[in-house]
Amino acid sequence: MKLNIIKQRGLWWGISIGLVLVSLVAMAISWQQLGAPLKPGLDFAGGTRLQLTRACVTTDSCTEPLELADVRQVLGDQGLDSSSLQLLGEDQQVLSIRTRTLTVDERAPLQSALDEAIGPFDPGSTQIDTVGPVVGKQLLVAGLLALLVSFAGIVAYMSLRFKLDYALLAILALAHDVIITAGVFAILGLVLGVEVDSLFIVSLLTIVGFSVNDTVVIYDRVRENMKLSPGSHINDIVDSAVNQTLARSINTSLTTTLPLVAIVIFGGPTLKYFALALIVGFVAGAYSSIFVASSLLALWRERTGQAYSDDPDLAEAQPETQS
Amino acid sequence: MAKYRAWLGVILVITIASVVVITQIPTRLGLDLRGGSQLTIQVQPTAAIPTITERELEAVQTVVEGRVNGLGVSEAVVQQLGNNQLLVQLPGVSDPQQAERVLGGTAQLEFRAQRPGTDQQLQIENQVLQGHLGELAALQATLPSNGEMNSDTQARIDKLQADITASEKAVAALFEPSTLGGDKLTDAIARPTSGTLWEVVIQFNSEGGNEFAEISKAIAGTGRTIGIFLDNRLLSAPTVNVQYAETGITGGSAVISGNFTAESARDLEIQLRGGALPLPVEVVENRTVGPTLGRDSIQRSLYAGIAGLGLVLVFMAIYYRLPGVLADIALIIYALLTWAAFNLLGVTLTLPGIAGFILSIGMAVDANVLIFERTREELQAGKTLYRSVESGFYRAFSSILDGNVTTLISCLALFYFGAGLVKGFALTLAIGVIISMFTALTCTRTLMFLAISLPQFRRPSLFCPGLTTARPDTVRP
Repeated sequence: MKLNIIKQRGLWWGISIGLVLVSLVAMAISWQQLGAPLKPGLDFAGGTRLQLTRACVTTDSCTEPLELADVRQVLGDQGLDSSSLQLLGEDQQVLSIRTRTLTVDERAPLQSALDEAIGPFDPGSTQIDTVGPVVGKQLLVAGLLALLVSFAGIVAYMSLRFKLDYALLAILALAHDVIITAGVFAILGLVLGVEVDSLFIVSLLTIVGFSVNDTVVIYDRVRENMKLSPGSHINDIVDSAVNQTLARSINTSLTTTLPLVAIVIFGGPTLKYFALALIVGFVAGAYSSIFVASSLLALWRERTGQAYSDDPDLAEAQPETQS
Repeated sequence: MAKYRAWLGVILVITIASVVVITQIPTRLGLDLRGGSQLTIQVQPTAAIPTITERELEAVQTVVEGRVNGLGVSEAVVQQLGNNQLLVQLPGVSDPQQAERVLGGTAQLEFRAQRPGTDQQLQIENQVLQGHLGELAALQATLPSNGEMNSDTQARIDKLQADITASEKAVAALFEPSTLGGDKLTDAIARPTSGTLWEVVIQFNSEGGNEFAEISKAIAGTGRTIGIFLDNRLLSAPTVNVQYAETGITGGSAVISGNFTAESARDLEIQLRGGALPLPVEVVENRTVGPTLGRDSIQRSLYAGIAGLGLVLVFMAIYYRLPGVLADIALIIYALLTWAAFNLLGVTLTLPGIAGFILSIGMAVDANVLIFERTREELQAGKTLYRSVESGFYRAFSSILDGNVTTLISCLALFYFGAGLVKGFALTLAIGVIISMFTALTCTRTLMFLAISLPQFRRPSLFCPGLTTARPDTVRP
């Protein structure tokens, strides 16, 4: 297998631009319908989530799935009509209720009313998450700040190890991966009501770290090839660098994605979408490193008259490798 | 090859040491895995105190710590978070509603006069209380650090806590209720007197000063005490000298002296000030996970981790042959080292933390993949096996370094800005990345060179199936 990156770059860029556009459109639709580009979860929007599991072992009360209508009745009595409800678990025995932020004095009567009407619920399997609106905002700001800072850190490090243009193109590829991942979750939010929480920001940051890793490996090879054959055109150098690192890119993506697939299949509900976000981001990252970041570098060098690497700075910037 | 034998020895020792660490030092599990409540408490400024400073936050923390102790949760943690929040972790708390109610109220400091004729009773009750407290402290000191205990110990602790609450009630009953509360106390300052002794000065506002004069007048010279209560627990019970029997202690200020050391005086100062703070606190975040739910999460995540690791191991062995098998060994050593590092550094393992660990397994492979791909290329370019392996390591190094540093930069940003669970993920991933570099560059390397020093392994086909010398820019699928 030999890929011809430069020749078919129109195709690769077309795919990328198409995916980015779809993502942006999905986020725009989400913005119109939900008031945010992605459906904000409890962490960011604030509120209370109660997850209750029916006590099936101790009592034989689990012959039928929970009735949402009964739950709505109880919620209505408590003045919480606008809450959203979900049944989870294989036998639909887990009830998840998302309401506005409840104080402990509002929550306690709700829990006992539910326990009486539909329960009994197992206190050992209860999960309560309450996030005040202020905290939600803090988490969002902190998350976005972390994302920006790590972008800046990566630009700084890559400028130091390579050159500024490598760094900026790598960041462009990163933005591509982040936008596509966000787009997929915007669509999931619109279609399945999937919400994003602070773990989603974590997954974006991890994607950033990983995908830049991919790009770095290819750029590293480009730099090495330039040094080995100073007379070659940048297009040829990039082409062979991508092909030389292709097996590694595929294998590494595979070995990192395998455990994630395992989490999607076996993991608990909290981690499922986290792992899915990582898979989407890693695949997008592998794609952008191979097809976008490399071809952009070639184009950029060509346009700025650096198609032939007679760049003394770059030769000096070559790091001292040691074994 | 002597060099690699020595390295092999080092690796063996480290691996055995990690196994010992893993079996001896228990893994600390986060509340999301073992069950429990994590509350974020925000201190609200008031008109009187518009900005919360370090001093106020410290005082509130002391009050909250006192309340947490009252809840009887072993291994509870109270930490300052930012400049106006406290993070409270209550492992295995059985009644999150009660905890939230108790922690969320404003502190109740009260100065109460002792009832007549209760001198002996107070002494006895206090002795009983101190006995319980001492026993509880001694018992808790013997507990293993992961908080696991057998049901007998648990029962004993529960009993002691019930006894303590009962004793505290009994003590409180010996005092008359009063209206002199913390809102009328303006300050408390610990200061040294002569020699090594310390005292605590308290300062009331004018209304409080008058009430304090009344109370002190009533008990001066009787041998009875003024009980200073915080959230219904007796902090201190000073007596008042007979010379104040006429007027009481007037002027709104008093000195509590006794056998205070610098430390105990400072404790009382902070407790008084915390009780004096009319700062309302509010529980702004509550994350409670039931204990069985947590156990279920661990199990599922462990299955996922083992399944993921298994798939990776199989893939490596099939695709890379002998080096793949060696990398698998290095990978298992990697997993052991990382686990041991978690236990050793006291990393609290949360659900995202486990995800970070699983992810780092996938990443640890990357360094090996880079090295082996390079080795293959060199072999295909017609170099000898030894030279190929050598330059595989040599030339993959800069990619490995750059890739890992950029991941570490992301981890750093996550750790610095993230809170709680996010921090756990960043830390476990970062530890994983650092250890993976070490194992790739030492374990895999040592095993590879030892393998090619043995004649039966010195066949290039074990390293690169179907080897033909080809142009270096052709990579086989």
